[in-house]
Amino acid sequence: MKTITKTFSEDILFIENIESVCEEICQTLKANIGKRLKRRGAVVGISGGIDSSLVLALASRALGSENVIGILLPEKDSNPDSLILAQQLADKFGVETVIENISSALEGFACYKRRDAAILRVFPEFDSISDKAKIEIKQNIDQAMPSVFSITIVKEDGTEKSKLLPAKEYLQIVASTNFKQRSRMSMLYYYAECLHYAVVGTPNKHEVEQGFFVKHGDGGADVMPIGHLYKTQVYQLAEYLGVPQEIIDRTPTTDTYSAEQTQEEFFYQMPFKEMDLVWYAWENGYAAEEVADDLNKSVEQVQNIYINFERKRRTTDYLRSAPIF
Amino acid sequence: MNTDKEIREKLLQYIIEATFTDEINDDTLLFEEGLFDSMGLLYLIDFIRDNFHIDIKDNELLLENFASVKSIVVFVNRKLKSQSTKKLVTCYK
Repeated sequence: MKTITKTFSEDILFIENIESVCEEICQTLKANIGKRLKRRGAVVGISGGIDSSLVLALASRALGSENVIGILLPEKDSNPDSLILAQQLADKFGVETVIENISSALEGFACYKRRDAAILRVFPEFDSISDKAKIEIKQNIDQAMPSVFSITIVKEDGTEKSKLLPAKEYLQIVASTNFKQRSRMSMLYYYAECLHYAVVGTPNKHEVEQGFFVKHGDGGADVMPIGHLYKTQVYQLAEYLGVPQEIIDRTPTTDTYSAEQTQEEFFYQMPFKEMDLVWYAWENGYAAEEVADDLNKSVEQVQNIYINFERKRRTTDYLRSAPIF
Repeated sequence: MNTDKEIREKLLQYIIEATFTDEINDDTLLFEEGLFDSMGLLYLIDFIRDNFHIDIKDNELLLENFASVKSIVVFVNRKLKSQSTKKLVTCYK
C-alpha cells in the first residue's frame, strides 16, 4: 500500500503540467521504439475511440507522422461512424492509413456462427440476420458480488429481452468474439513486420489493471504508452493534443457486439469519472471513510467497490501473466 | 420436493468438488474467502438451475442470497416455494 501524500478531492487526478506529461510520454515512447525495440516507426490500430486516438496523436508527436501508420480494422458489427472518425483523426495528424476489413477472416474462423449458436441456445427466437445482441453486467458494483454477464437481444422493432447467461454459453460467446481482437492483432503485426515498426497498444490504466482486454488480442502489443493513465487523464491529454471533438464527445463503446453497448454497461458498472476517483483512492490506500463524502457514496458502498476492484484485479491476473516456464 | 437438508448436502458436495477443498461449512463466506470468483458464481448458478430447476434473475444476484451455503439454502427454498405456489395458481386460471 502506497503512502498517502495528497488530500483526496474530486480534482486529484487533474494534470496540472500537461505539456511536460505529454513530453515525458513521447520521449519514453521514442526511446522504447528506437533504442529498446530497435524499430523504425509505429503501427497503431485506430477505432475512432478516445484511447486509440490519443495513442495515434502521441505516436505522431513522438516519432513524426511520417513514421506512424494507422490501421482501420472494421468488421460487419462495427459502427460505420468508427471508420469515419478514425479517418478524420488520421487526417488531422497527417498519418497515413490502411483500411483492412476483417469480416472475411472472422467468417473463416466461424466467429459469427459460433457466437450466434451460443446465443440461439439461450434465445431460440434470435434471428442473427435482423436482431442485434450484446452482453452486459447488470449488477450494481457496490453489491460486493462477483460480476456475471447477461445477454440482451434487440428485436427489429426495438423490443429487448435479457437473460442471465449460463456458463457454457457465456464462455462460447466471449471466446468467439475474441477472434475479433486477435484477428486485429494479427493484422497489426503483419504491417509492423512488413515495415519493421512496433505495434503500439492502446489500453489505458483501467483496461490493463481491471483486465478489460483480450489476451493476445488488444493486449498484444510491443509498448503501451497510456497504460498508466486514468480515463479522465486520457480525455485531458486528448483535448490538449487536439483530438477531434467528435471523438472526445463520443460515448465509449466496445464496438464488438451488434447491439450498441457502452463500456460502462459491458464491464465497468460505473461512470468513468467516478471509477477513476474510486480506483485512485483504492490503490493509494485511502480508507473508505475518507473518500465516501467526496464520492457521494456511503462508506459501505465504497468498501464494496474496493472489494470488487480487488476481485477484478485478482481474477484477471491470468490475462496479464506471461507464459510460465 | 427437496428438504433443507437435501439442498444443503447437494450444495456442499458441489462446492467441495468444484473448489477442491473440504474446509467448508454452512457459514463459510464463498466470495469473501476467495472460493468463488465470477466464473465460480456462474457455474454455481448453473448448478442450482440444473439441480433444483429454478430460474435465477439478475436482480436476485445479491450477497444476502449467495454469501454462504446457509444463505443459498434459504434462497433456493424460497424460490422453490414461490414456484410451487405459482404452479398452483396457474392450475386454477
